[in-house]
Amino acid sequence: MFKKPLLAAVSLIALTALAAQAETIRIAEHRQARIDALKAVAPAIEAKLGVTIEVIEYPAPEKDYMSKLLTELGAGNAPDVFTVPGDSDVPDLATAGYVAPVTEAFAAWEGAAHTFDVAKSLATGADGVMYAVPTMLSVQQIYFRRDVLEKAGISTDQPKDWADLMARAKEIKDKTGQYALLFPMGASWGGGAFGEGFQYMLAGTDTPQLVAAGGKLDLSSTGVKDVLTFYADLVNADLMPVDPLLGPEPWVIPKYEMFPAGQLVATTCGTWCYIYDWGPESKNPIPDVTKAVGTWEVPGKAGGNGHVMVSLNSPWLVNANASPLATQVALELGSVAADVAYASRLGNIPARRDAGDDAEFQKLTALVPVLKAVENGTYLQASAGFSAVSEGVARATEAILRKETDGAGAQKILVDYVTDVLGPDAVQ
Amino acid sequence: MAKRPQLMAYATLSLISAYCALPFFWAALASFDGNASLFLKWPEDWTTANYTRIFTVENGLTWFMNSLIVVGAATVLTMVLGGLGGYALSRSNAWWKRPFLYTILLIRVVPPPALIVPLYKVLLTANRAVQEVLRAVLPPDMLRPAMRVFGLVDGYLGMILILTALQLPLALWILKTFFDTVSRDYDEAALLDGASLMQRIRLVLLPLALPGLAAAGLFAFISAWGDFLMPLIFISSPELQMLPLGLFRAFLRVNTVDWGFLTALAVLYMVPSVVAFGFARGFLVRTFGGGVKG
Amino acid sequence: MTYQSRAQWQLRLILLPSAALLLALVIWPALYAVWLSFTNAALVGPGAANPRFVGLRNYARLVGDGDFWNSLMVTGLFVLGSAIIGQFVLGLVSAVLLNRPLRFRAVFNAIILLPNAVPEVVAGFLWISMLAGGERGVLSRIVMGLGLQPQDWLNTFPLTMIIVVNTWRGIATAMILLTAGLSSVPKEVHEAAVMDGAKPGQIFRMITLPLILPTIFLYMLISTVSTISIFGFVYALTRGGPGGATEILGIYLYNQSFTAYQLGYGAAVAVVSLVFSLIVGVIYVRALKVEV
Repeated sequence: MFKKPLLAAVSLIALTALAAQAETIRIAEHRQARIDALKAVAPAIEAKLGVTIEVIEYPAPEKDYMSKLLTELGAGNAPDVFTVPGDSDVPDLATAGYVAPVTEAFAAWEGAAHTFDVAKSLATGADGVMYAVPTMLSVQQIYFRRDVLEKAGISTDQPKDWADLMARAKEIKDKTGQYALLFPMGASWGGGAFGEGFQYMLAGTDTPQLVAAGGKLDLSSTGVKDVLTFYADLVNADLMPVDPLLGPEPWVIPKYEMFPAGQLVATTCGTWCYIYDWGPESKNPIPDVTKAVGTWEVPGKAGGNGHVMVSLNSPWLVNANASPLATQVALELGSVAADVAYASRLGNIPARRDAGDDAEFQKLTALVPVLKAVENGTYLQASAGFSAVSEGVARATEAILRKETDGAGAQKILVDYVTDVLGPDAVQ
Repeated sequence: MAKRPQLMAYATLSLISAYCALPFFWAALASFDGNASLFLKWPEDWTTANYTRIFTVENGLTWFMNSLIVVGAATVLTMVLGGLGGYALSRSNAWWKRPFLYTILLIRVVPPPALIVPLYKVLLTANRAVQEVLRAVLPPDMLRPAMRVFGLVDGYLGMILILTALQLPLALWILKTFFDTVSRDYDEAALLDGASLMQRIRLVLLPLALPGLAAAGLFAFISAWGDFLMPLIFISSPELQMLPLGLFRAFLRVNTVDWGFLTALAVLYMVPSVVAFGFARGFLVRTFGGGVKG
Repeated sequence: MTYQSRAQWQLRLILLPSAALLLALVIWPALYAVWLSFTNAALVGPGAANPRFVGLRNYARLVGDGDFWNSLMVTGLFVLGSAIIGQFVLGLVSAVLLNRPLRFRAVFNAIILLPNAVPEVVAGFLWISMLAGGERGVLSRIVMGLGLQPQDWLNTFPLTMIIVVNTWRGIATAMILLTAGLSSVPKEVHEAAVMDGAKPGQIFRMITLPLILPTIFLYMLISTVSTISIFGFVYALTRGGPGGATEILGIYLYNQSFTAYQLGYGAAVAVVSLVFSLIVGVIYVRALKVEV
């Protein structure tokens, strides 16, 4: 007679005990906007999966974030779920054994069907294993001050090829007296030299990929040389502001100060520029930014179709030592709600099609058309060794910035550096 | 005409002082400026909002207390260990004395970044042992708070030990040279009176060693207070976050540098070490005045 | 056991905690770094999963690495410019002048000590403002007052600027040590020289300087050693740039280990820099007869 209530009481106690011991998943996150986004979506994930989420704030500068994270990963003490800046960082963390594969969990996940193919490809390594949850995308191209160009009577048409782009840049400099076009270069921009510039241009050359048939890195290609030569021409013609790029935090002056002031007329950037750099989340916004600032696709070297560059933005990785629940949490960070929370604060593009139906997302008018066009984007397939390539590009472009070398010389710096780091076997 | 050298002396000292003091003007002014910038200017919009924000919006008080606890404890520990060790090194006539002294001095040339990864591994191993011990003796819900205190990675104890270890070589040197100038007669006499080691230290040496300890403590405090690399790598929990990290996070946390907030935090961050200097300054010359062979 | 030998044992006992702490947290990690320098250990990639012994490969690469030699040279100039010349000269001048009965002595003294109390990162931020480029930067405004052109200081004279900043940080240490040295010069010697009609410059050169020479050498040893390992404020100020112009060893090593992720190579840099400073240390101890 007392059995039922007793049982209920026992199970209630058991449940409470379970709830009290709900597994804690530690998530590394950094920079205020990203932390705000994560904290906004964490309660829903906790409720759905019955976990406790602990957000650990890491240092804001990207380099310090990575130093701390990698030290902890190396020692086996890192958080369960964390991000890396882009897809090019993923293979090297995977070969280090830091990251749990998510291939099967991803396939079984409700979001898999909605995820863009390009995002899946970017998250999948050469071995067919998926080591990253693609949640947000960087969609990058060239952003220019439409208002400045129109006032100066310069064409705002899409440049047809590299020569056209260069000619346009020279015309901007001649007619406005301002810096014309910025590509991130140099050692202190970190991964930016590679991820926010070099790869755009490379995609428009005859040799758009860096991995040769045997899995070796092919850095001696004509495409690499062409990009670096274009860079050298840009710097040598004084079309690009050089001094701020040699100091620490090189993006602050050109992107947050010069561009809004009209002292720099065009720059590479991603959709985040409409929100974070010059838009509503900026401290130095450009009024009516979507009108004042236009976009050009990145032209091919010899013409043909221009392209926008798609890459993973801060993909979520799961610690190899973490429990399976951590993978579920990482996948939930790719839900529409989470994607939109990050998109509205940072201005990146969700990696899934159905985010476009979300009412909150539709308010982000600058991002809506870009989401629709994601599938047309070009991408660069990352592979093991890309950390070294990225650092090598930073060093090569640093030499160009300092006007110490030409395109061929910079290519030699790149090849030598990567060969030194990875050994001669890894490089063709 | 004794006036001219005097004038020259004042002029020279004023120039050196201007060089030393100028950067502080910017920080002091900018921290009260509602519209602070990278450039030195007289604030048009005087405000204390930058300071209040540190404590209301951010966890300034937590950062401050953590820094005080950790650096304070490390300083005391450095003084205790350095005092005992310095005394031993001064009085010992063992053959390894000189090699030991040179080793700990030269090891200082290794830049701290070189030690981080090995240090992390050492501390993590020890941390796991501490965790096992605490798990065995404490109820589960006490484990986390206890690890915050006794943890060697992401815990007070670890941070205290690291900072102590980094400051100890200089402290040992200062105190060893200091004890060299304290006559051995005192401890010989106490030894003959049958005083134990602890009695000798407490009654004879401690009073004599005070200036040396103050100087060693001052240098340890200032250097540990300013270290940011170790807290950057070894502290993760927000409850344990220390001032340099607050400063580093405030920088570029959003896309522009908030100079008002940054300088206010920097001013607060400087206060304790300036105060420490004020307290210990009197001891400095006495310490080194005796400690250097003329 | 005699009381003397027992006392000697007790001495070892009270040194033990210090020795143990240094062994565990400084010497052992340093030895571990030596081992790493013979491997391809890395923070990412296969070198992170299974570090392999590679013999002297890292050292071979080091010899041919222009950036390393650049860093070594930058460090040498940095030590020479800031510790040996800047801090020492200004510290000595301050110590000598403040040893005289001047008015406002305490004020001058306090102001000169102030920078020494500034945490590394703060020092970096303060000087970012002082050295800011363009016409509005503080240093630029000062030189414009003297009729010179404003400069983008950290880009145009990067190494000189970090020397200026480090000198600023270290005048106090030199002044403290040298004041102490001066106070140990017997007054009678000084007075006797004045009686004999010696000029102040002569007194300083012939009497004071030789008497404080041991202090000077001890100062040089300590400041050289601690300047070689500087990392924090340069990291906050320039991160080694532009183009490696301020890439002192601490920064170079950090960049190798945490930007290029090459732990083994970074460790080799540390080992070689240790050897170099060992040589410098031996020169000080042997040639300049620093006594301990």
